[in-house]
Amino acid sequence: MQPEFLSAAFLSALFAIVLIDLVLAGDNALIIGLVARNLPKQTQRKVIFWGTFGAIAARGLMAILVVYVLDLPGFMLAGAIALVWIARKLLAPDPAAAGNHAAAVPAASFAVALRTIVVADAVMGVDNVLAIGGAATGSVLLIMLGLAISVPIIVWGSHMVIRLVDRFPSIILLGGAVLGWTAYSMIVREPLLASWFADHPATKLVAAILVFSISLAPWCTARLAERHKPLVVLLPALLVWLLAFEVAASVWQIEVRYLSADDTGEYLFQAARWLGWLPLGAAFLWLREQLALRRRQPVRG
Amino acid sequence: MLLIRHSDRANNAVRTASPGGELFVAAVVICMILVSFGDAVDPTLFGEAGLEFGLFDLGGEFSVLALSDLHLLQLLLAGGLLAAGLAVLRVSGALAQKALRSAPRRAIEKVPL
Repeated sequence: MQPEFLSAAFLSALFAIVLIDLVLAGDNALIIGLVARNLPKQTQRKVIFWGTFGAIAARGLMAILVVYVLDLPGFMLAGAIALVWIARKLLAPDPAAAGNHAAAVPAASFAVALRTIVVADAVMGVDNVLAIGGAATGSVLLIMLGLAISVPIIVWGSHMVIRLVDRFPSIILLGGAVLGWTAYSMIVREPLLASWFADHPATKLVAAILVFSISLAPWCTARLAERHKPLVVLLPALLVWLLAFEVAASVWQIEVRYLSADDTGEYLFQAARWLGWLPLGAAFLWLREQLALRRRQPVRG
Repeated sequence: MLLIRHSDRANNAVRTASPGGELFVAAVVICMILVSFGDAVDPTLFGEAGLEFGLFDLGGEFSVLALSDLHLLQLLLAGGLLAAGLAVLRVSGALAQKALRSAPRRAIEKVPL
């Protein structure tokens, strides 16, 4: 359902799109500068204008395409899983970030420069387009407005964006949270899962905690003490375990009651559901400890 | 490459974010989870659960917690309020703890009892 123009839902989606655009923005300005640096002054101006225009047009087209693709059954869920991965990637520090540019080769002509800029923007903007497609809730107007606000800021005000996130790194954390929220809302809107969520409403909460615990894991890992770090893996794994039982019960159409059993089969089922993860958790902790010990041992020979 | 990777502080945001900023984002995430809780469970069930004890209607209080249908801007406002409330609680708790801690035996402010 598309939000009404200038309603709270509309403004919220617009804010989400602009925030996602800012935190997932590529270094378009740098690429345009690198590609155009060897061209004559007059051609440089043309490359900057048409490169920016081409980048905005390519991104707009891709975003509109994503809106229609997300309407197909299954794609919303796939997009949500991709967004969780994008949020993790955004929050995880990248030690090899400096000097890792997508296009550093100066172009020889106007056409080559334009092509390089548009292709580089399209490649760098896939994650961005997917995220704004999910946040736009099917509204092409929202996508166009979001791009019209954020792309000029990114292209002409990239230094301002860098200064802003340098002064307030929490914006990146908020961006990760908004990506997680977008992923959750995409999962809930997935047409294939709609009837299942209607029958199992409590699993919405489990899905939300699962999405946030995976997408914000780099933040939790950085803040937790060493001995508590396995929780970052164990909590989502436990939720997946419980969800798997719920899904299995739906697929095989078994009636599952919570914490009650009459015959041996039901007792075994409940034991497996509530306690079956314990040996797996213990095995994970043991394996982690062994790997840490092996890493600490000096290399011989 | 992401634009934010050009800034060392932003690249390492999980470690360089200010405590206030982290508290705000954590509060927003809590509100988001509460909204999903509100989507999952009908809040009126709490009101009907008969959780009245003395002067308190816990059912009513829990149904306030079960937020639902909030948009991102509303979530940011709710998260800001929650973060401000938690910060005030933390400061007042620290002040109360400091006031309750007995002064050293020979301190100038020690009242001889």
